Amino acid sequence: MRRAMGWLGVLAAGILGLAPLAGAETGVTDDTILVGTSQSFSGPLVFPGTEEVAGMEAYLEYVNANGGIHGRKIKWKWYDDGYKPQNAVANMKRLVEQDKVFAVLINQGTSPVLAVVPYLEQKKVPLFFPFQGSSRLHGKKYVFTSYTYYDTQTQIVTRWLLEKKGFERIGIIYQDDAYGKFFLGTLKKELEAKGLTVAAAESVKRGATDVSPQVAKMAAAGLDACLLALVPGPGAQVLKEAAKIGWKKTKLISSGPLTDEKFLILSGGVGEGVWGLSLWPDPVNSPLPAMKEYRDILKKYRPGHEPNRYNLYGYFYTKLFCDGLEAAGRNLTRDGLIAAMESMGRRENGIINPASFGPDDHQAQDDGFMVEVQGGRFVPISGWLAVRNGKLVETPLQR
Amino acid sequence: MFWQLVVSGLATGCIYALVALGLTLIYKATEHVNFAQGEMAMVGAFLGYTLYTDLHLPVSMAVAGAVVLSGVVGLVIQFVVIRPAADQPHFNVFIITMGLSIVLRSLAGLVWSHDEFPFPGLFPVRPVTFGPVVVTPLNLGTIAVAVGIMAGLFAFFRYTRHGVAMRAVCERPEAAQLMGVEVRRVFAAVWVLSAAVSGLAGALIAPVLNLSTHMGAVVIPAFAAAILGGWGSFPGAIAGGMALGVIENLAGGYLAGQIKNMVPFLVVLGVLVVRPQGFLGEKEIRKV
Repeated sequence: MRRAMGWLGVLAAGILGLAPLAGAETGVTDDTILVGTSQSFSGPLVFPGTEEVAGMEAYLEYVNANGGIHGRKIKWKWYDDGYKPQNAVANMKRLVEQDKVFAVLINQGTSPVLAVVPYLEQKKVPLFFPFQGSSRLHGKKYVFTSYTYYDTQTQIVTRWLLEKKGFERIGIIYQDDAYGKFFLGTLKKELEAKGLTVAAAESVKRGATDVSPQVAKMAAAGLDACLLALVPGPGAQVLKEAAKIGWKKTKLISSGPLTDEKFLILSGGVGEGVWGLSLWPDPVNSPLPAMKEYRDILKKYRPGHEPNRYNLYGYFYTKLFCDGLEAAGRNLTRDGLIAAMESMGRRENGIINPASFGPDDHQAQDDGFMVEVQGGRFVPISGWLAVRNGKLVETPLQR
Repeated sequence: MFWQLVVSGLATGCIYALVALGLTLIYKATEHVNFAQGEMAMVGAFLGYTLYTDLHLPVSMAVAGAVVLSGVVGLVIQFVVIRPAADQPHFNVFIITMGLSIVLRSLAGLVWSHDEFPFPGLFPVRPVTFGPVVVTPLNLGTIAVAVGIMAGLFAFFRYTRHGVAMRAVCERPEAAQLMGVEVRRVFAAVWVLSAAVSGLAGALIAPVLNLSTHMGAVVIPAFAAAILGGWGSFPGAIAGGMALGVIENLAGGYLAGQIKNMVPFLVVLGVLVVRPQGFLGEKEIRKV
């Protein structure tokens, strides 16, 4: 309803003679900016999708309630693609050609995102912060990416284990699809570079019912560490099964997307001592002022949603997008926004390390930190870790 | 490792067996193939979850409630969407149940969201060691409850008037009707029973799989189990389910990555080629 009202508002503005002045940018009027996206409101990623959108809407409503950006309120239009690439493409065409959006903000899922990028590049419509971690979007003029690529995440974890912990026998349980294989491929490469091999690898198919064979095999492999490149449900099943057969000698390590509170809740308290790579501060408990502000805004504008890493993502990256709009000034154009983003410089955000973009660098985050599950929470056990110029570097966390 | 894999395979297999049993019940009585069986299990588990979290019932009561409420859901479904289409070709009813599965999943998403939830186990998960095998009471309890239900159903069909009536309708509806059996009432009862059994399966598997709207996918292995054991045979559904669970686990334990996912279905395929009626199915002979 609100979405429809937003559209009506834009329409009314047009009828009342407030139509864009000649030469103004598509999707921008005197007092509105229209953004859009295609998201998962159904299908396998419906939970992350609806949560990301809740975070986005909470921040946009907060901005609009505080006067908008340079006097313009932000309107939005979202469509459902159910994680289907063909639907995502159709939605993008609708957004660009029919609704005439200014920019596309936070769509989701590796395949749907990769499917729409060529079209958006061709139409010169900027895409901001798709929720996905494949490095294939690197170096595109109209695309800004968000978190640390999956291959970089695996590099960080592997090097940290080898260099800081002296581990050598490393295995992996991965989801049997493109997502899981991203992690497997990089782990192989990283270990081979050090003259090592993947000590054991087991796959879990999506929607598997029993992971006991995989866990039994991994437990028999005598590993120092076992990476889990899974989604929360099966990840939690692995923890339960490991607890059941008393598999304690091996450190279990959750990949970035798995390091999520849901994973711990589902595992029902057997996750103590598990390590993981985290990209975010604890959304529920972090005492950082910027995190408190996030929880307050979420609670005020989207009260039904508990803080979690998905709505934090939606909130954080919408905020970064709005920072870009702010920097682009009153005379807003698509190319102007891209130029403003690229020259914004390092700007503290109080949540993760400052994002800084340049003409060759459209990635917001390239690091993460290791956490251990203690008392049912992810507690940091390292500083920010990144691989820069081929070396693992560590910098202190914000306190 | 072998026995370990067998025991946990049996626990999963029991769930397949229960859902396959639900499929078989409906098929035997009405010759309808109910594609929404998995979603009925999912809805049952969610109902149990609601009883547990919102009404604070103890787990056993919540599971019992889930079984009863699932039966009610089965009755409503039968009354609202199946009965009006009862005289149409079976293929139409199959498509209706396919649509029903999508509707149930979406409705469950609206009511409970598409999130995943931890489901309380009817039995504790603290492991117990028997020689080389570590099992959880949850595994054993699942097997025990499933076997108990199967034995109960067997007795019901064998020794009670209603059970015999149901079997009669399954065999030959027209003749049963002539003998004074209320066929329509029996059809409804079959749906209630089938939905209740599936609801129980849902509540038993939810602690292992986590509760989510995706749980309905269990209908696929259940189909495979029913075919493996002999489509339309009650003991076949049970044997097929157990066998499929064990085969899946052994393949996972001893074979390499990509192959293991295919094995259960290769076995089904093999059985269909060599013995099309399944383990325990009866050969259908049509006299012309």
